[in-house]
Amino acid sequence: MGFTERLRERRRRRRLPIAVATGVLMLVPLTLGWHWQKAGWRDMHYNYPSTPTGYSQIVNRFGQPCNANASAISMSWRAADNGVTYTFRFHKKLGGYPTAMVPNKGGRSTNLDNDVYGHIQNDHLGQYAKSGIWGYYCRYIKNTTTWSTHAWGIAVDISAAYEPQGSCTSTVNRNFAHVFRNHGWRWGLDFCDPMHFQYAFGY
Amino acid sequence: MRKLIVMLVGLSGAALIAVGAVTAAGSASPDGRLTIAGPTMKPDTGAGELLLVVLGGVFGSREEAEAANAQMTFGDVQGYYVVPVAQFQGFREQIGAPGDFALVSVFRTETGAQEFAAAAQMFGHPATVLPTRVRSLGGLYAGLGQEASPSGEGPLTGPIPASLP
Repeated sequence: MGFTERLRERRRRRRLPIAVATGVLMLVPLTLGWHWQKAGWRDMHYNYPSTPTGYSQIVNRFGQPCNANASAISMSWRAADNGVTYTFRFHKKLGGYPTAMVPNKGGRSTNLDNDVYGHIQNDHLGQYAKSGIWGYYCRYIKNTTTWSTHAWGIAVDISAAYEPQGSCTSTVNRNFAHVFRNHGWRWGLDFCDPMHFQYAFGY
Repeated sequence: MRKLIVMLVGLSGAALIAVGAVTAAGSASPDGRLTIAGPTMKPDTGAGELLLVVLGGVFGSREEAEAANAQMTFGDVQGYYVVPVAQFQGFREQIGAPGDFALVSVFRTETGAQEFAAAAQMFGHPATVLPTRVRSLGGLYAGLGQEASPSGEGPLTGPIPASLP
């Protein structure tokens, strides 16, 4: 091999990783775009309320327990194991804003029904959301007379049949808990209630 | 020169440790343990009021009723309460089954009772809204106050015309 050919070969080797990296960088957004378009979904992050800490902030941000806004928006979620579609309600500040995926329900943000749910479905994590899915209830925390975050419509239980309260480990919800966390929610596994996700800290 | 290098390395190390510590503190949950920080509501028995009963079952003894109630999960929220049948006037006449203890949750509004009954059924538990209001004679707490006020501003914490005798 002559000097010129060796030089060319060396240049070619140097260019290869750059070409591969450029190709990947171009391919990733195209693939993501195709994927989102296919599912008709965009992560909007529109108008999230800041996550409250403690009772006073919850009341300041979401009103009294069981107020009309706490149950204003409804959504459906199909459980992967038994095929049952659960319809539940939640606070109008956490969803119901019109998007490509969600019709206008009079809500003020895209948090739960578009962004969290859309993320879970688009990341193919819906298979881990199993039976026992519910939201708003005007009820106290079990065995207490203290309002549950469900009474504000800022809590969702998922896979209740697989994630019993009192268990400090998770079987299925751990696969998508990060999606909730990345959208301002706290996972109940922190206090041994792995079915529970709430849009509040310090409570 | 060597001293300067040692100092720079030391300072860089300290800065890295400080940044790590701050990041760790910032990413930690504000409360890593369960703390129920909300106020405790005063148990309201609605003594003397006419209430709607959602019935989950009737049992011969308190132990049987407690055991059945323990099997009925409502996720992480409160479900039924175990109360003596004699706690409500006009209750025994409607239940149509022998037994001195019942699983109930009581309400002042039809909407509250129907919503709870629907929830119980969704959880797979029996739930019947008794057709006639019963008079509360006080006694044990049976769930009153856990329903939305018709005003839409919060929970219903007092009598309404329909619950007054």
